[in-house]
Amino acid sequence: MMDCAAYRRAILAEPHADRAELRAHRAACHDCTQYTLRLRRFESRLERALCVDTERMQARAAAPSEAAPPPRAAQPEATAAPRRGPPEGVTPAPRAVLPLPAEPRRSKPARRYRVWSAAAAALLAVGIAGVVWLAVPGPSLAADVVGHMAGEPQAWTRTDIPVPPSQLNQVLRASHVRLTGDAGLLSYAHSCVFRGHTVPHLVVQTETGPVTVMVLADEPSNSAVQFKEQGYQGVIVPVPGHGSLAVLERGGATGMDAVQRVAARVRSALTWTP
Amino acid sequence: MPSMKDPMAESQKRARFQALCQALRPDLLRFAFWLARDRAVAEDVVQETLLRAWKAQDALLDAAAAKPWFLTIVRREYARSFERKRFVTVDVDELIAAEEPLLAASEDEELMELRAALFRLPDDYREPLVLQVLMGYSTAEIAAELGLSNAAVLTRLFRARKQLRALCGEDTRLDPEE
Repeated sequence: MMDCAAYRRAILAEPHADRAELRAHRAACHDCTQYTLRLRRFESRLERALCVDTERMQARAAAPSEAAPPPRAAQPEATAAPRRGPPEGVTPAPRAVLPLPAEPRRSKPARRYRVWSAAAAALLAVGIAGVVWLAVPGPSLAADVVGHMAGEPQAWTRTDIPVPPSQLNQVLRASHVRLTGDAGLLSYAHSCVFRGHTVPHLVVQTETGPVTVMVLADEPSNSAVQFKEQGYQGVIVPVPGHGSLAVLERGGATGMDAVQRVAARVRSALTWTP
Repeated sequence: MPSMKDPMAESQKRARFQALCQALRPDLLRFAFWLARDRAVAEDVVQETLLRAWKAQDALLDAAAAKPWFLTIVRREYARSFERKRFVTVDVDELIAAEEPLLAASEDEELMELRAALFRLPDDYREPLVLQVLMGYSTAEIAAELGLSNAAVLTRLFRARKQLRALCGEDTRLDPEE
């Protein structure tokens, strides 16, 4: 069987690879399972980091900042200097002047007007985005929750066998939470490390399928936010004074109605203890 | 006798091409931006790419293959930009400072840190990583695009993530040696 170093080399190159030999190693190695889990969370952030806002990019390209530094070409003595060259294996295509397909040339005043319009629109968009960003939990919280799900596929099993009460209590107690109401059929309970905190990861079985709940006491939220990412959909529900709950389902079969019902039911069933 | 083009067919062809460009433009811009680490260069490269694609659109036989076709043109156009502008060395800190408003756009500090780390990755590592993570290319597709072997691509992807994680202050104690 593959050793840990070979497994980690493979998973660092292809974090979502799911070949049989990788699965076999994971099944037999707790450390590598945890390593994969952390790597996939990092991968989720990497995807978000690469997905830059192109509308903002275009607006800024149209209205360059006056504070921008001078062109780099004027500074040949730059420090920290990785060489920049054409991409590998690419021979530059022959130069040719190509006409714009039926794009009328604009007059200077019209162009200036467009630049100012773009700048104003960008400013407005930034303002609105700022207000929205301050009002709701960051989208990366949802991404991190989804990233966490990828590491625990066993949690999505459809079953009518409840988790042993002793295990459930142990998980809840570790996070200063207890159940004082009926949360439904809980089939899975596990203490997970999420953003540096130990959090309960629960699964509630509904008529339409399993719904996952993460009790995030250290992730405050001002309002409920729905999300849909990488095949998962769910909601982050604020719990005033106790962070939030992330409630989600996978694949769409269980449905958002079930997610919302579970969110409300679990929220009213949980009590936070000192 | 000069050939007569059907105006209706031409109009439909034009509409199809415009729709395609509109759908692909955000991804092309992102790809060009991560290649160039400069939004102005990325804009120029994408503009040139769309013009070149317009002229060569008859070569695109399968609409499903449009994205890789456009991305290949982006790479060629980016390479061609070196004929126009002689970039010899770059100061990564300056690149980051110049693009900071975009890198920090509306998201959390972690993403800003990760984007700055991506700027610091060598081109040879950043490009396959972007093709894999952002464009969804398989290892074999990246190898074909970059003219490398599968093993070389896997090595670069491994090194890219290893460096990136170290740059971001991730716990790399369990990361394997080469």
